Amino acid sequence: MKRPLPLIVGVLSGLVVLAAMFFVPQGGSILATVLNWMIIVAGVALLVAIASLVLTHLRFIANGKKGFLLSLVLVISFLATLVFGLLRGVDDPVFLKWVGAVIRPIETALLGLVALVMMSAALKIFRERGWSALTVSFGVSAIIFLILGLGFLQNLNFPALNGVITFVEGLPMIGARGLLIGIGIGLLMMAFRVLFGMEGSGND
Amino acid sequence: MSPSELLTLIIGIALTVMVFSYILGDRLFFGIATHLLIGVSAGFLALVVIQKIILPYLIMPLTYETGTGFFLALVPLALSILLVLMLFRRGTQVGSIPLAFLGGALAALAIIGVTRGTLAPQILSTVGRFAPEQLMHETEPQWSAILEALTILLGVIAVLFVFHHQGQSKAGDVVKPVFLEGIGSIGQIFIGITFGALFVGLFSSALIALINSLSEIIDFITLWF
Repeated sequence: MKRPLPLIVGVLSGLVVLAAMFFVPQGGSILATVLNWMIIVAGVALLVAIASLVLTHLRFIANGKKGFLLSLVLVISFLATLVFGLLRGVDDPVFLKWVGAVIRPIETALLGLVALVMMSAALKIFRERGWSALTVSFGVSAIIFLILGLGFLQNLNFPALNGVITFVEGLPMIGARGLLIGIGIGLLMMAFRVLFGMEGSGND
Repeated sequence: MSPSELLTLIIGIALTVMVFSYILGDRLFFGIATHLLIGVSAGFLALVVIQKIILPYLIMPLTYETGTGFFLALVPLALSILLVLMLFRRGTQVGSIPLAFLGGALAALAIIGVTRGTLAPQILSTVGRFAPEQLMHETEPQWSAILEALTILLGVIAVLFVFHHQGQSKAGDVVKPVFLEGIGSIGQIFIGITFGALFVGLFSSALIALINSLSEIIDFITLWF
């Protein structure tokens, strides 16, 4: 069942933005105002999400749930960053340096772990999905682009080979283009469903 | 090396080792590192939102005593209060109003963005390959350009057929016509090629990050021993 008020608000806001975008000179100020409201609401939604995360972990600590030590780490690091940032300001170089000192090594190491996980996942795909057009072309393409990535073949300077390499390097664009058009059409359908009230937070 | 530089170096190495302890099957130190990342990132994000969005766009206009700015700021204020009520169990229903506002406006932006930014350029770029000036050189046809344009067009159509799921139903199964299966398989080949190339790009970046992290640990060890 759909609740009428969120449905009306959703459809109206969508139609106003759409109309303002079609009639840009006249609707420019309306569009700017609605976009401004959107930015504020999205920001507050983000804050609510963060508050919900912290409250959940505070509940874990209060109940002494298994793994509450990790929740403690999260809450302390959150509060320390927030208080430090409020005192020094978000643009303060010292604050940014210390935030970077924590975030950067963890992110780099996690990206490094991704290399190992990807390697095992690439082998797993053949075990899980068997030999199909998709898996075989994926494997062959990965090997070919790994070799091309070395730059060895490009340095041989054979005009015929360079032509083949240029053609092969353009092949992923075909699939990407098809995927982008497919995703675009899907997104468009979804957006129209939201605008016509068939989808969204109006649903119970 | 200054004391603060040394401290950041030690913190960085410790955090890197904690993340890599995952390879040895450890969960505690890896968990501490990831929860630290989440906590610091959430704190930083909250700060940026408060100082760059909430204060200048929501709170400051409310300090104006008169004028349209004050009244226009009341609407997002009301929507924000409804959102904050979502934190309480009874307020989850009213929270759907600001979310519906956001969803509707985002849907409208998506329609314009997708048509102008994705669909139109991609379709025009595919069809644009068949422009006479691209396929002909003076009066001679450029066969390589014609072949390339045809390959791209057929490839894009084949990829789109991979997502075609409509078919005759036999005993509950969806069965595609044979020609659609064939075109879909060609599309799968093109998707596989794209994913393979993307995989290599991502894998190379991750490998560089891995080498960078390991070399930092080695440099740190050689610094002391």
